[in-house]
Amino acid sequence: MQSNVKQSPSLFKSALSRIVSDKLSLIALIVVGIYFFVAFLVSIGVLAADWGKEVAASYAEPSSLVWFGADIFGRSVFVKVIKATETAVMLGIVVSMISMFIGAGLGMLAGFFGGLVDEIIVWFYTTVSSIPGIMLLVAIAFILGKGTTSVFLSLGLTSWVGLCRIIRAEVMKHKDREYVQAANALGASNSRKLLKHILPNVSHLLIINFTQTFDSAIKAEVILSFLGLSVVGRPSWGGMIDDAKLELGRGVWWQLGAATMAMFFIVLAFNVLGDALRDALDPKLKGK
Amino acid sequence: MKMRNIFLLVISSIMLVSGCAKKRDANERVLNLVSPAEIKGFDPIQADDLYSGREISKIYEGLLQYHWLKIPYELIPNLAEAMPEVSKDGLTYTFKILKGVKFQDDAAFPGGKGREIEASDFVYSVKRLADAKTVSTGWWVLDGKIKGLNEWRDRNAKLPTTNYDEDVVGLKAVDKYTLQFTLAKINPQFIYSLAMPFTYVVAKEVVAKYGKEFINHPVGTGPYSLPSFDQSKQITYTKNPTFREKFYPKEASPQLQHLLGDAGKKLPLVDKIVVHIIKEDQPRWLKFNKGEVDITGIPKDNFATAIKDNKLSEELVKKGIVLEITPGLDVTYTAFNMENKLFHNKKLRQAMYAAFDNKKDNALFYNNTAFPAQSVIPPGVSGNDPKYINPFKGPNLDLAKKLLAEAGYPGGVGLPELKYDIPDSTTSRQGGEFFQKQMDQIGVKIKIVTSPWPEFQAKVKKKAVEIYGLAWMADYPDAENFLQLFYGPNKSPGANGSNYDNPEFNKQFEDAVSMQDSPARTAKYEKLNKFLAEEVVSLFGLHRQSYTLEQGWLKNYHNSDFSHDYVQYLNIDNAKKAELLKNF
Repeated sequence: MQSNVKQSPSLFKSALSRIVSDKLSLIALIVVGIYFFVAFLVSIGVLAADWGKEVAASYAEPSSLVWFGADIFGRSVFVKVIKATETAVMLGIVVSMISMFIGAGLGMLAGFFGGLVDEIIVWFYTTVSSIPGIMLLVAIAFILGKGTTSVFLSLGLTSWVGLCRIIRAEVMKHKDREYVQAANALGASNSRKLLKHILPNVSHLLIINFTQTFDSAIKAEVILSFLGLSVVGRPSWGGMIDDAKLELGRGVWWQLGAATMAMFFIVLAFNVLGDALRDALDPKLKGK
Repeated sequence: MKMRNIFLLVISSIMLVSGCAKKRDANERVLNLVSPAEIKGFDPIQADDLYSGREISKIYEGLLQYHWLKIPYELIPNLAEAMPEVSKDGLTYTFKILKGVKFQDDAAFPGGKGREIEASDFVYSVKRLADAKTVSTGWWVLDGKIKGLNEWRDRNAKLPTTNYDEDVVGLKAVDKYTLQFTLAKINPQFIYSLAMPFTYVVAKEVVAKYGKEFINHPVGTGPYSLPSFDQSKQITYTKNPTFREKFYPKEASPQLQHLLGDAGKKLPLVDKIVVHIIKEDQPRWLKFNKGEVDITGIPKDNFATAIKDNKLSEELVKKGIVLEITPGLDVTYTAFNMENKLFHNKKLRQAMYAAFDNKKDNALFYNNTAFPAQSVIPPGVSGNDPKYINPFKGPNLDLAKKLLAEAGYPGGVGLPELKYDIPDSTTSRQGGEFFQKQMDQIGVKIKIVTSPWPEFQAKVKKKAVEIYGLAWMADYPDAENFLQLFYGPNKSPGANGSNYDNPEFNKQFEDAVSMQDSPARTAKYEKLNKFLAEEVVSLFGLHRQSYTLEQGWLKNYHNSDFSHDYVQYLNIDNAKKAELLKNF
């Protein structure tokens, strides 16, 4: 059957066009894109594969040979920053995914089923959120032992509560809407209603939350490094800042400078992008 | 009106309180120290690390101690009246215990008043060290030395509760003030163990009252007391009010004559000690530079600014700070846990040693102030041959690669990733990364595992490590103290954290340590030292020098390798402190 009704563009398509049309958001998107691309190149070994190589004297100052100077072992700080981008991006993605999976999963169950399920989940996240974040993080890192995996897991396991609350509230709102009732009338199963009907309608929240979790994960890694619980054996921005707290005593500022700069741009870009995404994806703000 | 009165009352009481506090501060002599690692607790039989040993020695005491102002080190009586009478056959040591020495007041004693120490307390304390159920980390110092003690230990290990009333032939309280040790065989090092924290005297009642919590309730006979220990970042000790009459020494070796200013004064000299637990170098350094800490080492990253041409920088001199450089009787080493069969492969160990660049390690982490270690015994202790060069000591990458291939892992192929355990400070992590980098050159892959100091030690004791980095500081000036690190019966939880057990080495070691100090014994020590070097039982790193900075108001301090109880001799010149602090 043919129709002459013009189809409106999808939410995501229109959001993308809104971001592209805004200069600041576009720059943020490009910056994030560059970081992801660099991380990708590092992970396939095209960039910074030889980060461990000695290229200058120990603590050599920034020069045309070593742009951001050298670290204690004479390794290029610039190359280390590049290599650490992979760690940071990977950390951001994995942590956000874990947090999204747990937060959205539990939030949807609580909001949709209500009753006892809701009570248990609310009790659980209230308990988790009542433990000071940093303590919980340290405790999990201790239990899991040190290393990259445990940093990923401990950050992921401590950052899902906010999303869970939002999704729960949103699902509660949606489950009584007409389209869900229609699905109900057609005999759709609970999982179909949740995954096929409700989830797409709350997915914009997941995307916004992703950008927020991403940059808080990068910042949390720095704190963990200061507590001696972070990634060891491969460069990370947190590790470089941890090194710098000793090196500043001898006037070596370049590791701190380089790592902070690298962090600053991606965290800022994610913040701007998160803001833009919220404006673009929130149906309530549509058309404004 | 009423409100105004209340307000005035509050203000005046604040002023009164702060005024009182200030007045007290001005007269009180407070010593501020730092510990770069957490303290495990206050149980003498677990005092196997320097940091815990130092804290325990503020509260507990032993039969003997080292003379504070004598170099070479000299053992003198502490809780004993005099040095022991030794029988002609060299096997029986008889001590007279000081009369009237009391344990600190504690609720464990009747009426809360500490009772007098007796010879039987020493018998109990030694048995406690030997008790297999206490899992002491210091049993190795007496293992096999006292007649009948090993048998007592083995017998009681099988019983549900240890029978402390059962007599041990070689360990007797002859009367209230006479204590007698009979050795299983001649052992010249035995006497040193009586000045070590492991054998400090504890009271049976206190151990019984606090049980597992005894480790946090120290009650000794020493100059300072601490009601309870709670793993905080600051430990505050106060003078033990019932401390006996003990006086500052009146004699000193020629080089320490300048420390006789307080000769004859009653000990301890300062009223309060505050120990700040600061793991990281920079906060420690900054605190010292603000005048809030009285003694410190120099962090590697501040060395260049603090020391110029082996002299203190002008800025620090202006603050009245004093530098003391002393070679330490120690060795840094990277140990293999030999329970892991992989490390039985001698060529692998040798290859790793040859790959490690010790000179660079010295430059990066010790500002080139340390001396390369060829084996375990440091210079200044007989058994160290200054001419000896270890043929496997790196950096020699060609040799390393060749040896690795001979070990069966050409280019590291087939060798699993090895775990390298270190404490969790930033410097240790950098050290770990350096080791990882060095090993990577020959294809040996290393994974760094960091843990807080007490947890790290616990892992070594439980044999839950593969490779780990550590330093050993002498407990007494005898090579036996270094060689025993590889003596089979001293395996973890003993001092032999490598769990190396070579019957031939064990036999030769036993022969050597039963000899009196003589050229023949030195020759044996040298032979054993070279054997360990070429076996590459550990990757021996450096013998460090200690660069210590002291505030100008601190009196009587000098670096001592063995006097863990040094704080009782230290003094603070409050007037000078007020004066010098103006320059900070």
